[in-house]
Amino acid sequence: MSILILGLGNELIADDAVGILTARHLRALLDGDIEVIESDLSGIALIELFAGHERAVVIDAIHTGQHTPGTIREFDSTDLGPVLSPSPHYSGLPEILALARQLEVDFPSEVRVFAVEAMDMTTIGGQISATVADVIPQLVDRIVLQVRDWQRQKIHA
Amino acid sequence: MALNMGRTISIDPITRLEGHGKIDIFLDDHGEVERAYLQVPELRGFEKFAEGRPAEDMPQITSRICGVCPTAHHMASTKALDDLYKVEPPPAGRKIRELVYSVFYVEDHALHFFFLGGPDFVVGPGAPKAERNILGVLGKVGLEIGKEVIGLRKELRALMTLASGKPIHPVFGLPGGVAKALNSADQEKFISAAEHAVKFGQFALGIFNDVVLKNPKYVESILSDAYTHKTYYMGVVDAQNKVNFYDGDIRVTSPGGGEYMKFKAQDYLKHVAEHVEPWSYIKFCYLKDVGWNGFADGPHSGVYCVAPLARLNAADGMATPLAQKAYEQFFSTLGGKPVHHTPANHWARLIELLYAAERMRELANDPDIINPNVRTIPTEIPHEGVGVVEAPRGTLFHHYETDDRGVITKANLIVATQNNAARIAMSVDKAARGVIKNGNVDDGILNLVEMAFRAYDPCHGCATHALPGQMPLIISVYNQNHELLKEIRRDG
Repeated sequence: MSILILGLGNELIADDAVGILTARHLRALLDGDIEVIESDLSGIALIELFAGHERAVVIDAIHTGQHTPGTIREFDSTDLGPVLSPSPHYSGLPEILALARQLEVDFPSEVRVFAVEAMDMTTIGGQISATVADVIPQLVDRIVLQVRDWQRQKIHA
Repeated sequence: MALNMGRTISIDPITRLEGHGKIDIFLDDHGEVERAYLQVPELRGFEKFAEGRPAEDMPQITSRICGVCPTAHHMASTKALDDLYKVEPPPAGRKIRELVYSVFYVEDHALHFFFLGGPDFVVGPGAPKAERNILGVLGKVGLEIGKEVIGLRKELRALMTLASGKPIHPVFGLPGGVAKALNSADQEKFISAAEHAVKFGQFALGIFNDVVLKNPKYVESILSDAYTHKTYYMGVVDAQNKVNFYDGDIRVTSPGGGEYMKFKAQDYLKHVAEHVEPWSYIKFCYLKDVGWNGFADGPHSGVYCVAPLARLNAADGMATPLAQKAYEQFFSTLGGKPVHHTPANHWARLIELLYAAERMRELANDPDIINPNVRTIPTEIPHEGVGVVEAPRGTLFHHYETDDRGVITKANLIVATQNNAARIAMSVDKAARGVIKNGNVDDGILNLVEMAFRAYDPCHGCATHALPGQMPLIISVYNQNHELLKEIRRDG
């Protein structure tokens, strides 16, 4: 059972660090057949990171301006509609999934996305906002539960 | 509109990303386009962030700012350090840098064409929305090609790791050279990958010939007046005025095609200035010598253009034989130099891919490449340094000033998309005017406007990544009273 924990974001850019910091906490907490990756990649480059894992958690910051900063939202990769990206650097997960399937890349059967509403995503060298940093422990707990659930399913399977 | 969680997410405007593709179109009272704007966010605080840091950290730091073209930032930054310490890398150091840079180019350009240009020119601009993506491209040219792109990319990434420490964020560039020499086993791998890359480059141009050039409708859309701008062009050239991605003088050609000027990276501030508009965060670069005369074409407007088409226009040719042949075919097919049609960027990109592959082959076979002497140790007291490279998306400048210890006191970056910003804005405006009539806007029209800026492969603000699945392009249409009439989102 190989599980990928993928923290996306950029540690140098304020609240965009939240995925990276969360992944770092998880690395210390989780055991078993788990790989934790911190990455600022996007789009098609992610195919290589997902390849070879059975399940994956993606943690990232988003900025909708419509939710309180620090709001955690959780969804499945299949919840996301198809996107024609204006750039290959921003290919969406559904597009990557479909491509991986067509090219017979060994891709996770399940991808859970945890998105945290951010406040500042554009200041290089900016500090992560307190309201965003404060939800990291809760986010860590939720992901640990998800991963343990997958691991239990595997044992009972 | 919120039917379920996924739908809710996909219709939320993602402010950071929205900026990547937010187009505001204002209509007059006849429903004709009054003005169309492309909005972009800009990362803030770089200058402040850089101040007080050792200049030697900059190649690592700047490459981490952007997850899209880290190698370009790393290279421009490393070259700025050469200039800062007034040190020249030995031949092996210089050639290893250019070899790695060529590998990066092959990979980046290959990805761009199949994922970005492909939907417009292989599937076709009029194809249904659901097919205008990489899957549609593969449906038309065959799945094997998808495997080939992914496979080539993997091979090239492995080489980058071998030569530059880490594949994503290279750590090998040092003032005066590189950190690590190559051995003959490494060299063999580069030679074999280069052969593969050259074949791939020829194959990609072959597809372009068969699928695009043999289809008069596609050729017509490349030549369409809606996508044409007669501006100046900028690109780095070698001593023979051939395209060079890694090093050389900066050459500018005029809208008529002749050389307008040529200058050293260190003199960029004498020739490039920035214009500010109230509606955009981005600063619009223009040629100081010509002056800012608004968003206009022609020899009296300082607007210039960078990236593949501009590089081909700004040079006299390609330095490698196969790419040179393709270069000649390009200009003879499109009516001679310069080519002013923005969609020709996609074709130019493939010619550059072939050049990068051939250059990679030349350098990989160069006996100097395994010389262990890869670095000249700097001895000068630092003061000021400028580095320039051609990033895949255009000319990239890094400029640092330091104190005597090499600690940054001032930093300035001009990224490719900034050089192109004025012309991109013009393209979006012109395309909108060309295709929107009587307030009529639908998905097909949206795509035609989008094509106007997609050809530049804009990479705004050097943002890093996107939550997978969250890349809407938003086009807002306003009436004469600036009330929102319609909003179209490219998100499924």
